[in-house]
Amino acid sequence: MAEGLDFERLVACYYEPLYQFAFSLARDESDACDLTQQTFCIWAAKGHQLRDASKVKTWLFTTLHREFLGTRRRQTRFPHIELEFAAAELPVVSPPTINRLDAGQALAALARLDEIYQAPVALFYLQDCSYNEIAEILDVPLGTVKSRLTRGLGRLHQLLTGTTTQPQPPNL
Amino acid sequence: MNRDEAKTILLLYRPGTADANDPQIAGALGLAKQDPDLTRWLVEHCARQEALRTGFRQITAPAGLKEQIISEQAAKKITSLSFRRRRAVLAAMAVVAALVVLTPLWFQHRGSGDTYAILRNRMASVALRGYGMDLTTNNPASVRAYLAQNHAPADYVLPAPLEKTAVAGCAIEDWQGTKVSMICFRTGRPLPPGEQSDLWLFVIDRSRVKDAPPVGSRQFVQVGRLRMVTWTEGDKLYVLGMEGDEQALRQYLQG
Repeated sequence: MAEGLDFERLVACYYEPLYQFAFSLARDESDACDLTQQTFCIWAAKGHQLRDASKVKTWLFTTLHREFLGTRRRQTRFPHIELEFAAAELPVVSPPTINRLDAGQALAALARLDEIYQAPVALFYLQDCSYNEIAEILDVPLGTVKSRLTRGLGRLHQLLTGTTTQPQPPNL
Repeated sequence: MNRDEAKTILLLYRPGTADANDPQIAGALGLAKQDPDLTRWLVEHCARQEALRTGFRQITAPAGLKEQIISEQAAKKITSLSFRRRRAVLAAMAVVAALVVLTPLWFQHRGSGDTYAILRNRMASVALRGYGMDLTTNNPASVRAYLAQNHAPADYVLPAPLEKTAVAGCAIEDWQGTKVSMICFRTGRPLPPGEQSDLWLFVIDRSRVKDAPPVGSRQFVQVGRLRMVTWTEGDKLYVLGMEGDEQALRQYLQG
């Protein structure tokens, strides 16, 4: 049972990766702090319902992602722009530079992806979550995760290098 | 599987993880061993993957976040316990006496997270995240009356320039079970869409905050987009914040 988990230890283990995920989604320090805090508040209220302690990490990331989506729905200040329309304005990072990316550059590239690819790509890089874990966190089928990752990563690399690794996702 | 298909599959490959156990990825990796062009591409790809992973992992949580999460949760637990006690009081008057004894103890046993730095961060979060004013008015007297009526700090002393600044309203925030008065001002600069104020003063009973700055000192700090200054006067702790630099903030302090 997960209710035996010590709250402080849980916070110590997961606040940093949760914050990283929150920041990669929200790209705002205050929003990321709030999302992280809210996730632990929900854990404190409902975490005892989780029967399998090995699922705590997935549970926390799922909760944070849902909170983010909920917050996002309430806000209208994020216009959705298809990548194709903005692609011409995007700077390309030279090949030597791409091997020395900092957080700001990585997040800037992530922000340029279509929203649907951002969460799986962030989880892919941040936590080394397995594809199954990413599917569970985002509540989508495994095939969908692989497909989104293939497209999202293809775009990301395209944005960063200006070259195309044409994604061909159907058989994943 | 041809080279392009292998590249597509290997997009999902993260070196040093269990990804290599995936049958498709394992197959593509096998092909890469036999194809020098694909091998070269894979080496570059792995370097990019590693750079991106490193980039993402450079995101660091702000100092004090962990402590804030833990302390706020601890405060909620205490509040919840107090509520249960209150119900017990209704059931048996004898418990009233116990509460009288326990209440001072409760104050003494507050967690170590109730420092003013955490309060300051929390209030910055309130101001930055968006808030609803409990009372919208440009009348300072109405603000004080509302706060007093709701048992929040109302007998605050404002620096002279702040006295002259237009009030927009107020709200009452909760911090670890203690009421914090939030007085919202308008500096006269153009406000962002949807905003009603751009300068915020938080006032709390000084005794409820550990490590409050001593009387006579002002501490400036940047919290997110906010420049904040904290000072103590009488039995109150004051936190004033706005977007801008220290010089802009000082305008509202000097008499």
